Amino acid sequence: MTSISRIRVALVTSILSCSLLLAESGGQPEALDPADCALPALGAPHVRKVDVAWNRYYDHAGLGSILARLHKAFPDLTALYSLGKSTEGRDLWCLEVTARRVGDPSRKPGMYADGNIHGNEVQAGEVIAYTAWYLCHQYGRLDRVTALLDNYVFYLVPMVNPDGRDNWLHHVNGALSSRGGAAPVDNDRDGTADEDDCEDLNGDGCIAQMRIKDPQGRWKPHPDYPQYLMVRAKPDEPGEYTLLGWEGLDNDGDGRANEDGRGGYDMNRNYPYDWQPNYFQYGARDYPLSQPETRAVARFVLAHPNIAAGQCYHNSGGMILRGPGREGGAMQSADERLLEIIAQRGERILPYYRSLVCWKDLYATWGDQDTWLYAARGILAYTSEMWTPRNLYKNGQSPSDEDEAEFIKQVLLGDGFIPWKRCPHPTYGAVEIGGERKEWGRTPPSFLLEEEIHRNMAFALYHAGTMPLLRIGDVNVAPLGNRVYKVWVTVENQRLMPTRTAQDVDHRISPPDVVSLRGEAVQVLSSGRVTDRFFQRVAAVECRPERVPLETIGGMEAVRVQFIVQGSGSFTVTVDSARGGLLHGDSSLPAL
Amino acid sequence: MLSVSLVLLLAGAWARGAAEYGSPQSLDRQLADLARREPNVVRVRELAESREKRRAWLVEVGLGSDTDRPTRPALLVVAGIEGNDLAGPFTAVAWLERLTAQARTDPPVAEMLKKTTIYAVPCLNPDALERFFASPRVQLSGNNMPRDDDHDGFVDEDPGEDLNGDGAITQMRVEDREGEYIPDPNESRLLVKADPLQGERGAWKLLPEGIDNDRDKHWNEDGPGGANFNRSFPYNYRYFAPEVGLHPVGDDETRALADFIVSHPNIGIVLTYGAADNLRGTPKAAKSPGRSKPMEAVDERDMGYFEVMGKLYRKVIGLDKEMETVSEPGTFSDWMYFHRGRLSLAVRPWDAALARALAKPKKTEDGKRTTEDEEEKPAAGSSSDPNDAKGDRKSARKEQEKRGAEQRQDLAWFDRHAPEAFVPWQTIEHPDFPGRRVEVGGYRPFAQTNPPAALLAGIATQQGDFLTELARRLPRIGIGKVECHLLAESIYEIEIQVVNSGFLPTALAHGETTQEVYPTRVIVDLEPACFLAGARTTSLPAIRGSGGTAKVRCTIRVADRSQVQFQVVSMLGGRAEGTIELLKTTAENR
Repeated sequence: MTSISRIRVALVTSILSCSLLLAESGGQPEALDPADCALPALGAPHVRKVDVAWNRYYDHAGLGSILARLHKAFPDLTALYSLGKSTEGRDLWCLEVTARRVGDPSRKPGMYADGNIHGNEVQAGEVIAYTAWYLCHQYGRLDRVTALLDNYVFYLVPMVNPDGRDNWLHHVNGALSSRGGAAPVDNDRDGTADEDDCEDLNGDGCIAQMRIKDPQGRWKPHPDYPQYLMVRAKPDEPGEYTLLGWEGLDNDGDGRANEDGRGGYDMNRNYPYDWQPNYFQYGARDYPLSQPETRAVARFVLAHPNIAAGQCYHNSGGMILRGPGREGGAMQSADERLLEIIAQRGERILPYYRSLVCWKDLYATWGDQDTWLYAARGILAYTSEMWTPRNLYKNGQSPSDEDEAEFIKQVLLGDGFIPWKRCPHPTYGAVEIGGERKEWGRTPPSFLLEEEIHRNMAFALYHAGTMPLLRIGDVNVAPLGNRVYKVWVTVENQRLMPTRTAQDVDHRISPPDVVSLRGEAVQVLSSGRVTDRFFQRVAAVECRPERVPLETIGGMEAVRVQFIVQGSGSFTVTVDSARGGLLHGDSSLPAL
Repeated sequence: MLSVSLVLLLAGAWARGAAEYGSPQSLDRQLADLARREPNVVRVRELAESREKRRAWLVEVGLGSDTDRPTRPALLVVAGIEGNDLAGPFTAVAWLERLTAQARTDPPVAEMLKKTTIYAVPCLNPDALERFFASPRVQLSGNNMPRDDDHDGFVDEDPGEDLNGDGAITQMRVEDREGEYIPDPNESRLLVKADPLQGERGAWKLLPEGIDNDRDKHWNEDGPGGANFNRSFPYNYRYFAPEVGLHPVGDDETRALADFIVSHPNIGIVLTYGAADNLRGTPKAAKSPGRSKPMEAVDERDMGYFEVMGKLYRKVIGLDKEMETVSEPGTFSDWMYFHRGRLSLAVRPWDAALARALAKPKKTEDGKRTTEDEEEKPAAGSSSDPNDAKGDRKSARKEQEKRGAEQRQDLAWFDRHAPEAFVPWQTIEHPDFPGRRVEVGGYRPFAQTNPPAALLAGIATQQGDFLTELARRLPRIGIGKVECHLLAESIYEIEIQVVNSGFLPTALAHGETTQEVYPTRVIVDLEPACFLAGARTTSLPAIRGSGGTAKVRCTIRVADRSQVQFQVVSMLGGRAEGTIELLKTTAENR
């Protein structure tokens, strides 16, 4: 009997005992913990050491608690630390997930995944926490997960911008506000920073839109969805309303409302590769990595040369984006091909998602994170834009405004919309405040959130599973006479990704992969890389024959290295690759 | 004063003279002394700590309160940002000492320091400066950030060695048939590249002094030396190039400087000492692409200011014609213009080319040429190939004379002014080249980028004179005419004229493009409801210098007072306050 079917039998038994209890209690079910009386659906872990409801958005403390509980429950799989502090002093938590007792965690090929660099893009935090939760619980149960944690290490950072996240969750905001960090910026260049933000005028805890009844207005309510939608009046027809923008006052008396709100920069334009200043790339800030959050991430990545894969989560649009961020930006064709292959798999894992090139298919960005990860560090990285309204009706079509209103009305029973209500305003007089809630549009509703984060995780795990996995294959020893031997070592890469991407090789980002041979009574006379194994061509190294530097070990390929040695006894072959790991293999020269 | 004993002990023979280069320690003392001596006008604070735990200082000079000085027009001087720059730190400190002493004795200087703030970073890279005083002396442009220069998996494993024991890492030449070089036929101390098209066969290899520690047949290819701070700024930053560090603004020192810039927006002029120079000649200009493309040359609308500053500079140092400007990627000075929109000037205070240009005959008033130094006369040579036709022979000889001419002229200058700068070639036994002829010699570290110490004081005086001139050319706003007309009971039309009495405009054209220089604002101290026309805050367009003006006009309704206060705030031109008298009576005011 397999372990899975054993669990199922145990669960069936417990369900049976529940029904027995029910019979005895005379018409009223007993208030047990329903989790004890359930058969888990496929996909979710069967035993939950850490119970988390994945249909809500957690704040910094909440996501931190999930990581802390996971770390406590799975000490052999996790390490928990902070990459640094945010502007307001919140920790950028990282849960490092790997089988800590299998191999050296710091030498395993690594995936760096983070989310929520944009404060309002909250599900990006949940997908990271879910990935940590899923990996921990499924280790030892699902072979693919076990192999992932035995072979690789995951650096999971749910919130790069916890200030923006907490502000979005706890304070009045719109769907798009609180994208940046908490450092004040003088957006309107009047000498004062952040002095004219939005206000919750009617005290309902939301920032919504303001409209005013106006004989010269050019807007009117939609005939079919009057509570939910405003439409333009026809050119020759009078309207009823003027739209006044976000709820708020002109705090600084400059004749404009809400023109200098909290923050006002974009940390995903603050990375140092292809960085351009604020006047050219909005949000870039004063210089690359000027913000403590981006600097902490960059320092971490620079300090972990084993990171081979990168994943940055955002919302929204249903896109798997890859670089370059700008036309003519860094992208080697061999790497482009790999990114395309991996993302094509992602399009199957993530219905209605599209694999796109940032500058060409979306818009040009300068100083974004995935460009830096790839171009400056040679890491194959994606930006995933989580959630698409194409998922509302599951037909792959972008819904119309009416379709969305219909969804809010009939599926969400009105949740997602703030009904218009009158409110006095010091400048406009009596306005009406209402419109979409901040959660609508860019984050999935509760019942679709779990699907969204699971599928995105599945894509990241597929991506992680393409990272290099090295093996020392055959070690062939052929005598040449006079205690001299020809040793051929085969080093195999069993996965799709090369140890060093073309960008890495081209710009010498990682050190070379080195295959070396050492033995107490063995002297290496000459060595080199085998350039043709059939014709036995060898490119000899210039110096230090005991080590053969290699540019890269290609995906699904093997590299052969030749050592001409003299001596006797045992020797050790070592493969040292920053992104492929550290391997040793013992062998010996034939006894005389 | 400098710590003379220490410096004499450590400094090499080429730097003898009245003035001496100062070590980081003596710089620390000098600045501490200055702050003690002039507490009213000088403040010194730590800007950053280096990798090797030395301090980069920030000196602020100006009279007045801590709240006033950050609002005044400001000049920033940065030196020692390029590791091999010794003359810059010397010059900056000498100027600060002179300027602050003048503040007590010279009324115009005192007056200037009442309304101008001077910031100076005399040495951003003290770790590199220390290499001049190290044993052996080695010239590096960067800090000691570890870096695998030759990408072999080892870091800093093959530095130079002082093989001839002269206390300096210079060069070595190795007689080698595979070498690329032959002796310069006109100057045996110099090598020139052999030209295979002329049938020349290489005879020498030219290498830095040292041994091949890692036996990779490359000499001293991976010594210490990491980030050159003056290649580390974001404009035109060259990712992956040597010396640029891990990423732009990637070291504590560069980040501290960048943060200082961001928090001191009153800086209107920047002068940086280093390898780049946009004052010995005129930099390139182009039409601005606005905000649609990054800028690649100075905005042509700003060119006049660069030209004028160049002329002034060349006049002060006595250079009577333009030389080629020098630019480098990722410099601090380019960042300050191209991204921050400030008038940003760059100076290499000395190099042999400049020294030669300054030594060229000058026309005197009576039309005769005076000669400070004779330019090297081309040696009369003969063609090496007897089969040459006569005409060809002549042009071949000319070619031969041209080849290596600049380096011969440089060496001739050193022979005349600082013969110690060039170490004569000396034959040594080299373990990597047994039985081969190996000679060690060549220029001493720092000698080609810094003047002989004897010239230092004079150069510092000229540079200081120029810096003082710069401090006088900042923008400076003030209030011109203020008018008030009574339109009706309690209703007035007011007009405020703002004047820029400084030299520079309140914003360069590129300062406006980058939006880093904010518009000058006039703030009238009345409630928003008082304005029938106009507003409490009015942003003005850029106001040119030398008396340029801009006006603000408002119609106000004020019943309860006879005066209205207003304030003018300019990011680069300072602040001013004024009062409008509201005349209650009569139609004469209409």
